[in-house]
Amino acid sequence: MNKSISLRVNDVDYKVNVENNWTLLELLRDRLHLTGTKKGCEEGECGACTVIMNGEPVNSCLVLAIEADKAEVVTIEGLEKNGQLHPIQEAFIKHGAFQCGYCTPGMIMSVKALMDHNPNPSREEIIVAITGNLCRCTGYTKIIEAVESLVAVNEKDS
Amino acid sequence: MEYTAVLNKREDKDIMEHDVVGKRVPNVDSNVKVTGRAIYASDLNLPEMLFGKILRSPYPHARIKNIDVSEAKKLPGVCAVVTAEDTLKINYLVQGPPFDDKPVLAYGKTRYIGDEVAAVAAVDERTALRALDLIKIEYEPLPAVFDPEEAMKEGAPVIHDNRPDNISARTERNYGNVEKAFAESDYVFEDRYVTQAVSHCCLETRASLARWDSNVNLEIWSSTQSPYFVRKELAHVFAIPPTKVRVHQIHVGGGFGARSKVCEDEGIAALLALKTGRPVKITYTREEELTATRIRHPMIITLKTGVRKDGTLLARHMRIITDNGAYTHTGPGVQGVAGMVAASLYRVPNVRVEGYLVYTNKHFGGPFRGYGNPQATFAIESQMDLIATKLNIDPIELRIRNANQPGDTTACGWKIGSCALQECLERVREEIKWEEKKKNPVPGRGIGVGCMIHASGFKVYLDGEWSSAIVKVTHDGMVEVYCGATDMGTWSKTSLAQVASEELGIPVDLIKMITMDTETTPIDLGAWGSRTIFIAGNAVKMAAAEAKQQLLEAAGKLLEVNPLELTIADGQIFITTDPYKKISIGEAVLASKERVGQAVYGKGHYEPEAELLDRSTGMGNISEAYTFSAQAVEVELDEETGTVKPLRIIAAHDCGYPINPTAVEGQIEGAVAQGLGYALMENHSYDNGRVLNDTLVDYKIPTAMDVPPIKALMLGYEPKGPFGAKGVGEPGLVGIAPAVANAIFNATGVQIKTLPLSPEKVYWELKKD
Repeated sequence: MNKSISLRVNDVDYKVNVENNWTLLELLRDRLHLTGTKKGCEEGECGACTVIMNGEPVNSCLVLAIEADKAEVVTIEGLEKNGQLHPIQEAFIKHGAFQCGYCTPGMIMSVKALMDHNPNPSREEIIVAITGNLCRCTGYTKIIEAVESLVAVNEKDS
Repeated sequence: MEYTAVLNKREDKDIMEHDVVGKRVPNVDSNVKVTGRAIYASDLNLPEMLFGKILRSPYPHARIKNIDVSEAKKLPGVCAVVTAEDTLKINYLVQGPPFDDKPVLAYGKTRYIGDEVAAVAAVDERTALRALDLIKIEYEPLPAVFDPEEAMKEGAPVIHDNRPDNISARTERNYGNVEKAFAESDYVFEDRYVTQAVSHCCLETRASLARWDSNVNLEIWSSTQSPYFVRKELAHVFAIPPTKVRVHQIHVGGGFGARSKVCEDEGIAALLALKTGRPVKITYTREEELTATRIRHPMIITLKTGVRKDGTLLARHMRIITDNGAYTHTGPGVQGVAGMVAASLYRVPNVRVEGYLVYTNKHFGGPFRGYGNPQATFAIESQMDLIATKLNIDPIELRIRNANQPGDTTACGWKIGSCALQECLERVREEIKWEEKKKNPVPGRGIGVGCMIHASGFKVYLDGEWSSAIVKVTHDGMVEVYCGATDMGTWSKTSLAQVASEELGIPVDLIKMITMDTETTPIDLGAWGSRTIFIAGNAVKMAAAEAKQQLLEAAGKLLEVNPLELTIADGQIFITTDPYKKISIGEAVLASKERVGQAVYGKGHYEPEAELLDRSTGMGNISEAYTFSAQAVEVELDEETGTVKPLRIIAAHDCGYPINPTAVEGQIEGAVAQGLGYALMENHSYDNGRVLNDTLVDYKIPTAMDVPPIKALMLGYEPKGPFGAKGVGEPGLVGIAPAVANAIFNATGVQIKTLPLSPEKVYWELKKD
């Protein structure tokens, strides 16, 4: 059983045939070759596969590809614009907020979803927003520092 | 010879004068890691590639009577089905005979739920999974044993025929005269501590991709910490020369010890690739990761300690029963390290270690950050607080009285060079406001401390202990560093690039790191044992120094001065007293009489001045440098629910001079968080050998909500380390569990002697009183 769906990923329009039992994660990784989105558990617990779908962060392993019909999806590959890294990416680099890097794409997408809605989150709000993203390397300390540094910048701007 | 003086002068520089080391240089892989472009083994696809899946034993212990793969082979899309009959039936070496008990695929018997019995290569994963269902295996279930103390009893089911007592390895160490020292002690303490099985939970599950060429050369891309051991083991089980195996450079999604030796998927992917003549990739599910990869060995430790009434430690007798699981892997080494820690943490002259590594029908233990040290240190450091209380001595004061000091030799022969353990204790006492909090206790709150000693590399393999590097400086002023070291997330590529940059005087962004690849890089034993920065760091430094010598010699000729009068900085070579007289690095390369093509090469091979462990006596100064730490934890305890909430952690580490403070802090913070998981929440539970928590839903690791603020203090200086550095990969985890247990003891007067300190356990233990 398969179905044709249309979706927009990182500002590119796709029309693809997908099997009914494919997840959005499989579609992104195996069909569209966007391997920046990572597979860590396939049950929505680790957050490594987080992407933004229609403005909300989702575990792409828990979304069926057919549910993404007509959706607007942003993955880690869509953050860099015109060769410029996104400020969240810059902050992660500056604060050394990654080690093995495997959770990093999902972590950055969760932070982006948070800051799109709430540009000046408190420390507690940051922690809540990334609680669904497991990191086994960093102890989260530098990730939280990196996001807090962006809040400081945003507050100065406003 | 004259150039050596230049290099030595550099060494004498005040450590604050460094240009690159000691600085928070961004990770050299920053861009690919924040953009999703870092390629991990599971991301990789090759032309003609097939997908492999493994059929595992559903029984904890069973005889394999018959395997019928005919139906599976008929399924369209299936390219190969393999069993042990397709292998040479050679076991992996790991720690070598007589401990080499694990075949590539099981034959005769299966020994745990998850044991690999057969495997399939197919055009996609779903087809491979369907084919597994079609393999018919006739098993005869056998009686099984899951508890190591039960397994040691007469008449217990025998797991390996050549070990009728189920004991894989015994450790028997006698340093000094324990009996005499106990007789002379004012007090003797004896306590039993129990630690649990925990998983590494690398965020990337295991993945490997293998292919062979027509000349029987095997290539593998694997999420490994040690290409050296992968090459050695695959060459062994396929009976080919090691040089015919090429392990490629790839990003690795976490390690923590899980990948520091061979992993089963590596051999099976290679076997399927050999059978099909096509590349085969195996990616584990999270369930496989949690049920069929290594765990931290659970230990039952009975610790007897004799002290004088002033707190001086006189003797220790540590009896260890280690739950090996179904196969041996690194169990003898892990148990051995626990014993060496018993003989080395604090000044204790008389030590007896008795260890039993016992087979059970469960998934088996392996290396995990600390390698036996966290288990032993949980016992030692928990008991130190019982001793302190009994003798009415402050716990930190008791530790300072017994602290290792520079120049000491421990009971098992570890020669302590640099050692700032006492300073670590003093700093955490100050930072956590120990005295103030002791004077004004807040109900439901407690403070505790845990110390540790660890080596910077372990000379325990007959292979030796070394690392090597080649530094190539090219005509365009760029540098390529070739080193077999592996960066599984530790920032070692960045730190090693900083070492090369500092030594050469060439900016770090002009340095390209080529690592892991066994065909192009000189050998390094791998990223384990907190060894990379100390051993590979020294090798890279030597190689860079040799290349620099060639550049200075050539530049001296061009500028008509003695090379001793030259400086290299910012990629230029100039006369120190007349900086306008300068040439570029590229000009020096092309003028060098030692150039090869358009580059000069420096080589470095570093073997620490350490002694190979004497396996019969357990004696040996197995490392050139030892790291120390003291970590203090403050907790808040809810007696109604048993919940323990860590509030803050001060982590003081004598890790030597930090080549990259961001990287070192990262190692400490991450290890502390893992230590909190070990202390408070992580624990495999079983039903007749079946792992019950085989998902991340049920096997909980710390989230951002579970980790309190961590303050890392980086202390000490190690003269033999590159620019003063020592290893720091493992130490942060080691002392956390006892620090938390001691904080609970401080808050409640109850010491809990089994891990984890879960809410349910804490609740019932407090009810007991």
